[in-house]
Amino acid sequence: MISRAARSEHVSGWLFVAPAALLIGIFGILPIGWAALLSFQNNDLLTTPTWVGTQNYHTLVNDPVFRQSVNHTIVYTLLFVPLSVGGSLALAMLLNARIRFSRFYRTAVFIPVATSTVATGLIFNWLLEPTYGVANYMLGKVHLGPYGFFQDPDQALYSIVAMTVWGWLGFDVIVYLAALQGVPESLVEAARLDGAGRWATFRHVVFPLVSPATLFLIVWSTINALQVFDEIYVTTRGGPLHATTVMVYYLYSQAFEFFHAGYAAAIAEVLFAITLVFSLLQLWLGNRRVHYGS
Amino acid sequence: MRRLFLIAATALLVASAGCGGSSSSNGVVNVTVWHGYEDIEGKAMTSAAARFNATHPKIHVTVTNYGNADYALQKVLTAIRGGAYPDIAYLYGSWAANIARSPTAVDLSSRIKEPGVNWNDFWPAERQAVQVGGKVIGMPALVDNLALVYNKKLFDQAGIPYPTANWTWDDFRAAAQKLTDPSAKQFGWAYVADGSEDTVWRFDALLWQAGGDILNSDNTKAEFNSPAGVQAATLLQQMATVDHSVYLDNGNDNYANLFNSGKIGMLFTGPWDLSSFPDVDYGVQVLPGLTNHQTISGPDQWVLFNNGSQRTQAAWTFLKWFTSPQQALIWSTQTGDLPIRASETQLPGYDAYVKKYPGVSVFVQNEANALKARPVIANYNEVSQAMGQAIEAVLLGKGQPQQELDQAADQADQTLATGQ
Repeated sequence: MISRAARSEHVSGWLFVAPAALLIGIFGILPIGWAALLSFQNNDLLTTPTWVGTQNYHTLVNDPVFRQSVNHTIVYTLLFVPLSVGGSLALAMLLNARIRFSRFYRTAVFIPVATSTVATGLIFNWLLEPTYGVANYMLGKVHLGPYGFFQDPDQALYSIVAMTVWGWLGFDVIVYLAALQGVPESLVEAARLDGAGRWATFRHVVFPLVSPATLFLIVWSTINALQVFDEIYVTTRGGPLHATTVMVYYLYSQAFEFFHAGYAAAIAEVLFAITLVFSLLQLWLGNRRVHYGS
Repeated sequence: MRRLFLIAATALLVASAGCGGSSSSNGVVNVTVWHGYEDIEGKAMTSAAARFNATHPKIHVTVTNYGNADYALQKVLTAIRGGAYPDIAYLYGSWAANIARSPTAVDLSSRIKEPGVNWNDFWPAERQAVQVGGKVIGMPALVDNLALVYNKKLFDQAGIPYPTANWTWDDFRAAAQKLTDPSAKQFGWAYVADGSEDTVWRFDALLWQAGGDILNSDNTKAEFNSPAGVQAATLLQQMATVDHSVYLDNGNDNYANLFNSGKIGMLFTGPWDLSSFPDVDYGVQVLPGLTNHQTISGPDQWVLFNNGSQRTQAAWTFLKWFTSPQQALIWSTQTGDLPIRASETQLPGYDAYVKKYPGVSVFVQNEANALKARPVIANYNEVSQAMGQAIEAVLLGKGQPQQELDQAADQADQTLATGQ
């Protein structure tokens, strides 16, 4: 039995979270449940669905394109996360220094984040056009290339990585800048007085102090990277020859090009499982390595 | 089939504006039409609705652009799922079998017998495209076919005669080679190599010319990996990877801009592209041939969706009016699209239309070279994707014709076997 006071606290607590809980329930939990149900169906979104048990999952295991899509998703994530998080920390360190026009630079770094993905995609399509694009023109001036970029199955995924790192770097930079502002000047100065060089100060003072930001960015970027879609949709559309078919793109084409909604839902469930494993792993590691201050 | 109206972009930008629209209190029935027309065609669509509204006080038609027509089916299906969908939507012919499965799509088979429709006035390819089983799932919206469009100036510069109606594949290949100049970044031909239906339907024409077919007669087995298919794919392979006379477009419709800038000598394209070439003195000829000069025709349709009998009737009234010979000719004259009815060619305004669009008469005559149609089956998209991947691999030099087509045929056979 809980005491009356505790119970009333219980009730008012639930009342406070009720609006948010309701919204999350309707737009979060319910669709998740429905998608799980869908993954056991043969459903074309047009006619009456039929129950097929685990057949969709069996098909997935033997689907070569699905396997490719998992590989591409993981390769993309393993490149995107370190490049964007590492790159942004370096940039943030530079922008945190007292230099002229630093506000301008900060704004400039953030602009790609605020630009619509569609616009970014169109611009990159032309920049990276193999025959007439600016990228190959410039590279040609220094006797490099020409490269196929989006049109070469061996380069397309890396071109997407480059484009998305460029597009998302600004967001990570802002987060790191905020974290860097929170590093007490006194600690940095103390380290210097103790004879620590720039690298040692960074390695032993600054880096541990911004580690909560690092953990957040890694988890957040990973979840984003596993679900990459927009940038691919507006540039390569999964091609050439499935070279940029990532899981969400494959899911999309199964659901909305071929009308296999059940099969697509099964892909979504696998993606959900992968995301869950990645996130738990990161949080577990984070709890051991992250310094949350005193 | 219709070209990419806009680059993939608009698909995301133009969120399907809620259609709403129900009969209002003053007895006016609202009808919503979804289409993917841009620019000139978009304006023509708006003005057609205005003309209709002015003459039909009891009906109010609102036209809404749904973005790129390539992705319209999913948008309409999503809208149907959501319960708020248009009364009429422009949909590609290749989706007919999918649409026929939706209970929301209105079967027009009895309505087309009404007086004034004159069903047999539409071209045979159009009528075939909307008939699925016993149903008629739409009214013809547009008919296209592929012909050879060429830049006269580039031919003159290369010192080669213009294409003739008797051109063979060899003539075509040789000309493409002569029109190619790597130093000027100039190509003889362009091919959409993104593996989409754009890639596939141009191949279909070559396949048919070589005497092959996509599937067997009862649509149960792939046949595109026949010797004819290999012959067609080999032509593409030789031109793209040996002659390097082909600009490979990655699906963003760059080829149209490049043709208009004089960087590409020849295109396999349809009348919809002609308005994109204001800067080029172009000529139009039937496709180069092998055993014959077959082309592929891509009729699209206006599909009517059931929003209650009152709105359905009003929407049908609009469609009947919009596809009448007089209105269709106004449309063709404004946009350059081919006549959807044979009788349009007899109307007094027809000569003005032909004069306004140089080359369009070749496309009208070329309709007679459209002998075959793509299979009308619900899983056509998957068959097409398998073919598209094979052709793309061949074009990119990543695979051999026979081997790639065999692999695609296996995939298509599996899809056909599941019968989904």
